[in-house]
Amino acid sequence: MITQAVTPSVRKGAAVAGIAGLLVLAGCSGATDAEDATTDSAATSESTTTDSNSTSDSSSTASDSSEYADGTYTADGSYQTPETVEQISVTLTLEDGVVTDVEVTGDPQARESEQYQGQFIAGIADEVVGVALDDLNVSRVAGSSLTSGGFNAAVEDIKDQAAA
Amino acid sequence: MSTWRFDAIGTRWEIETAEPLVAELRARVDAVIAEFDATWSRFRPDSLVSRLAASGGSLETPGDAAPMLDAYRELSDATAGAVNPLIGQSLNALGYDAAYSLAAQDPEPAPAEWQSILTWDEERLALASAAVIDVGALGKGRLVDLVTAALSEADGGLVVDASGDMTVRGEARVGLEHPYDPSKAIGVATVRDQALCASATNRRAWGDGLHHVLDARTGQPVRTWAATWAFAPDAMRADAVATALFFDGGPALADRWGAEWVRMSTAGVAERSANAPVELFLRKD
Repeated sequence: MITQAVTPSVRKGAAVAGIAGLLVLAGCSGATDAEDATTDSAATSESTTTDSNSTSDSSSTASDSSEYADGTYTADGSYQTPETVEQISVTLTLEDGVVTDVEVTGDPQARESEQYQGQFIAGIADEVVGVALDDLNVSRVAGSSLTSGGFNAAVEDIKDQAAA
Repeated sequence: MSTWRFDAIGTRWEIETAEPLVAELRARVDAVIAEFDATWSRFRPDSLVSRLAASGGSLETPGDAAPMLDAYRELSDATAGAVNPLIGQSLNALGYDAAYSLAAQDPEPAPAEWQSILTWDEERLALASAAVIDVGALGKGRLVDLVTAALSEADGGLVVDASGDMTVRGEARVGLEHPYDPSKAIGVATVRDQALCASATNRRAWGDGLHHVLDARTGQPVRTWAATWAFAPDAMRADAVATALFFDGGPALADRWGAEWVRMSTAGVAERSANAPVELFLRKD
């Protein structure tokens, strides 16, 4: 398994390209097992297909200077977003050193978790608005915490330094 | 109605009782807080977690360790590792350290295999290697529960409020503070004989997108949810759910623990559980 660390701001498409590139290098070093061509046609999104095209371009360019064994290579990758760890699987088919097929199966884990969460959330999400606390008959509020002197003083100190 | 206010564990406390608290009960509260702080504060060089941080070690299990760490195990599993009690070094890396340096270095993920580094049973707590324990995901809630228990002899209604993490004996109407405008609320909660814990990324925030709610898997501050509120019979679990709600898996954990909740995204959209005791102020189009 190849694990690719990608900064969270990089979205799936870029991560796919990165992992695919890594896969080809791994194939070059013989670290990835060649497998029989797969006939599994799991869903590949259009945006992923676009990224796959660019991947095959760069891969075939790279192949000009190296010899790759024909075959189908598969690697799993994961990358992190701020709230989830996304899993994808990339399968490449090489013929005469050229990528002839790329298949990306994306992220069943996240889809599963979305479905799993949905059953615990009431109704659809609603946009909220703020109402002035003075207009509400509440005895206290819960939210941003009043913090103690040390933290607030440190924040003020940073602001002063930034302004200087 | 009498209100006792003080600062402790880096936050403001308000204890509301029908009659002024007698000195003996105040002393009990002080002692409970002092012991908790001496054990779990990573801001004190002499605390238990600070002494363990440098090279690990093993010692007698403190009274609160098992309930809190058992809950952390569920919290970590429910959020696929996003919540982790060895997050302390990740917080330090972003500048939220004992000196409040607030100078961010590169983000550091917390050790994913924390359950093999930090182990505990009824007698011993052991840390196999250097790591900074931070019980921030539920520690304040736990302390609110301990203070509430210390005041069990106080007559009548009781509110123990540690700046947004509170228990209510009786009933209280509580504004859900707008995370981007502390003069406003996005709703009102009716809290009756239970705990309400709030968490928001605007508190303990310093500088560009930096705040105290981190994803342990990346060491980076969360960005999808801006504020969370959770209702549960005890404040420790309400606090834990409020933390979990910043991640996938939070709503499922709330369901398993019988907690109700509300959360607001950074885009101003709110979600809630079916029976949350809240009225939300929704935009009318």
